Amino acid sequence: MKKLAILVIMLMIGCSAQLYAQGKSTISYSIGFGTGDINDYISKASFRGISYEYTRFINPNVGIGFSVGWNVFYSELERDTYVTDNASITGKQYRYSNHVPVLFRSAYYLKSDSNFIPFAGAGIGTIYSRRNTDMGLYSIEQEAWNFALVPEIGFQYRLQMDNAINVSLKYYNGFKAGNELDAAQSYLALNFGFTL
Amino acid sequence: MKIAKLLYLIPLALMAWGCYPAGPDLVEDTDIVYTTFDEGYDFSAKSTYAMPDKIVIGVDINNVGDTTLTYMKQADANRILDAINANMQNYGWTQVDISADPDVLLTPAGMSNTSYYYTWWYNWWYNDWYSWWGWYYPPYVTIDSYTTGTLVIAMADPNVETAYNQTESTWLSISNGILTKSNDIDRAVEAVETSFIQSPYLNIK
Repeated sequence: MKKLAILVIMLMIGCSAQLYAQGKSTISYSIGFGTGDINDYISKASFRGISYEYTRFINPNVGIGFSVGWNVFYSELERDTYVTDNASITGKQYRYSNHVPVLFRSAYYLKSDSNFIPFAGAGIGTIYSRRNTDMGLYSIEQEAWNFALVPEIGFQYRLQMDNAINVSLKYYNGFKAGNELDAAQSYLALNFGFTL
Repeated sequence: MKIAKLLYLIPLALMAWGCYPAGPDLVEDTDIVYTTFDEGYDFSAKSTYAMPDKIVIGVDINNVGDTTLTYMKQADANRILDAINANMQNYGWTQVDISADPDVLLTPAGMSNTSYYYTWWYNWWYNDWYSWWGWYYPPYVTIDSYTTGTLVIAMADPNVETAYNQTESTWLSISNGILTKSNDIDRAVEAVETSFIQSPYLNIK
């Protein structure tokens, strides 16, 4: 998973460097809140997250582009006994849920000529989800590529002509996919970032 | 503009802070105890067991096929065997000699093997402050070795005939963790206790 994370982050950096002159790039710190199956598995919020967006404006109010990100949910369960039909296992359990959304994105920006610019948008694409349940030296790994629809709202606050603070709330709605993770993988993400 | 570009570092720094590795802190956190049993076996109809007074930890086979068993240090083995006996008797079982036709046999064994795992380091820094900020990710890889220990306790009924003339285990306990040579026997004894706590069907009282 770390290799994938590095790849995502390098892609973010690479894109921001190469595309900077052509559009707007946003890098955000992302806090995740699991819903549905993710929340059942890990109820704690995720403070490990990052996202990158590239937006090209086709007119002063409408931007299109793409976004990639990475959110990791983690929890540590106290030593406990888990029972199945004729087996029991006792130990501490460590749960990890990794999510890497890759989306095409468009957004509508209100008041594009002011310093405070609210916006609303949507993304469509996929979320790669990987869940690891570790006990002792063993790990159960489950993966899925979820089709994703991601509505979002937020605002930009322009600091200078070419840069702004970017705050957004996204709902990563990852639809049920595959056999390993047989439930939808969805979460809310609160993003704090900068747009250049 | 150069300063503005540095704003990008804030989310990255927060991400780096959030990425502090998480997982087991102590070797005891890696300890697990697994038990399973034959659902069709009537434990309540049994009452006696036999168990060796040693714990085998290895088998050496030479090039002509001769086997030599190696055993756990007796003082350590006694602590584990005493814990098994205490729990069996607490559940209503009576220990008998192997010659007294016991209902079940208990065979504890220990084994260890050395494994390797990879540790990754994160590291990034500015490499050209004045022209362009950058970062660098050297995927330093180190290989650490650790020795894991596994205590297996198998319960089998020698009176049950099977098609292959081999006795299947009616109860099996497998405890596993990283060995440290400091409190391994304490952890093994605790694993024995846990094995019986999570196997209440062995209680024939």
